[in-house]
Amino acid sequence: MVRAFVLNASDNVATLIDPAARGAAVSFVGQSSGSITATSDIAFGHKIAVQPIRRGDQIIKYGKVIGQATQDIAAGAHVHVHNVEALRARGDKRKAV
Amino acid sequence: MNATFWGYPRPDGSVGIRNHVAVISVMDNCNPVTRGVANAVKGAVYLPGSYIRGQLGEDRAITLRVTAGLCLNPNIAGVVLIGLEPVTMGELFDLIAPSGKPVEAVNIQGAGGTINSIAMGIRAAMRIAREVSKIARREFPLSMLTLGLECGGSDTTSGLASNPSIGIVADKVVAAGGKAIITETSEFFGAEHLFAERAADRAVGRQFLDAINAAEEDIMKQGVDLRGSNPTPDNIRGGLTTIEEKALGAMAKSGCSPLVGVLEYGDRAKRAGLHFMAGPAPAVESITGLAAAGCQLAMFSTGVGNPIGHPVMTVIKVSGNRNTIDTFSDNVDFDVTSVLEKNEPIEAAGARLFDYGLGVCSGELTTAEILDVQESAISRFGLSM
Repeated sequence: MVRAFVLNASDNVATLIDPAARGAAVSFVGQSSGSITATSDIAFGHKIAVQPIRRGDQIIKYGKVIGQATQDIAAGAHVHVHNVEALRARGDKRKAV
Repeated sequence: MNATFWGYPRPDGSVGIRNHVAVISVMDNCNPVTRGVANAVKGAVYLPGSYIRGQLGEDRAITLRVTAGLCLNPNIAGVVLIGLEPVTMGELFDLIAPSGKPVEAVNIQGAGGTINSIAMGIRAAMRIAREVSKIARREFPLSMLTLGLECGGSDTTSGLASNPSIGIVADKVVAAGGKAIITETSEFFGAEHLFAERAADRAVGRQFLDAINAAEEDIMKQGVDLRGSNPTPDNIRGGLTTIEEKALGAMAKSGCSPLVGVLEYGDRAKRAGLHFMAGPAPAVESITGLAAAGCQLAMFSTGVGNPIGHPVMTVIKVSGNRNTIDTFSDNVDFDVTSVLEKNEPIEAAGARLFDYGLGVCSGELTTAEILDVQESAISRFGLSM
């Protein structure tokens, strides 16, 4: 069984505590239940979208904001630095203004 | 139950969990002599100097204070100072001597060069080693402990398992009347509002937020993106995506006790309870600050694996990542993988870690100590002139 840990019922991502192959059924543990199909291979410790996330949406983990989606993310997709950006300590953005 | 540990009494009333002789450079140009002395004496720890010469103002004051702080750490029984010249060495001597610990000083110019200095240093360290070897461990209440809280080589398991387990220990130490110190300023970005809510009073909360805001403003003023530095490449490989995610996990090391004080880098905590110390996130600089702040012990969570310890402060490595436990076990002291693998409650994992930590306080060696995977470096806040 491939497990993904949900820390807070309001989270839109879960943390894989087993590695997932593309197409694997990923079962939620922690503060959620049910399962989702991984749309790609996802490494141990990486995050999976538990629901569709739109570009510009906040990414929620621990029930808190951990960043913002830079593109639309399908349910079951890998959520990481390729589709999420940090919002804090972004001096690069101030410079651009 | 009143928890106790077996430690070494010091003349200033503090209690060490180790009985080291510090051989420490006053400035960086003394390091070769300091190494030569420390390598020759059993029980001596080598503490390299960082700069001093050429430093100005607050930057110099911090380096002096932190260097002295390392010597004042309760784990240090006696000190051999290795200096180039007597004036700067005298400044440091005057900061350490009031502790009542034996302190000897060797000045390389006065001694007549490297070979004579090493010989004089070895004899001084030998005298102190013999003297402090007579100090016996005694039983002390846990209130005498200052616990450092650190993470390094973090991944998503750090926030799920190892940091919350350390948080349980921090709460137990604070409940027993001891002190705990969390640091790594940038690793509060995105979590600081939650931590500030735990401030014992408004002034402490404001002081904490000011420290966080000042650090972020430094980054903003430079026009740089923290993402180039933190999360680190290995944090990202371990699944951490943003500093906010890392911060929310890192904060769990502090448990849920109220925040009673805010410290500058390497400053000593003066009252019981949980403190925040402003300071950099990279492990070596960070644990050096904790050691200078008087922590006898640090609990250091690691996800993907960071082996480093500190020569002054005993460091316990804790991991909840099963891959790291499989492949990096030489450098891990305590396994909390059962939190994710067997649904072990965090409270139970923390209680196990607490019991283990008491044993370490009473003398059980950690991997960083046994393998001498230890490093010391003081942060720099200004330019040399």
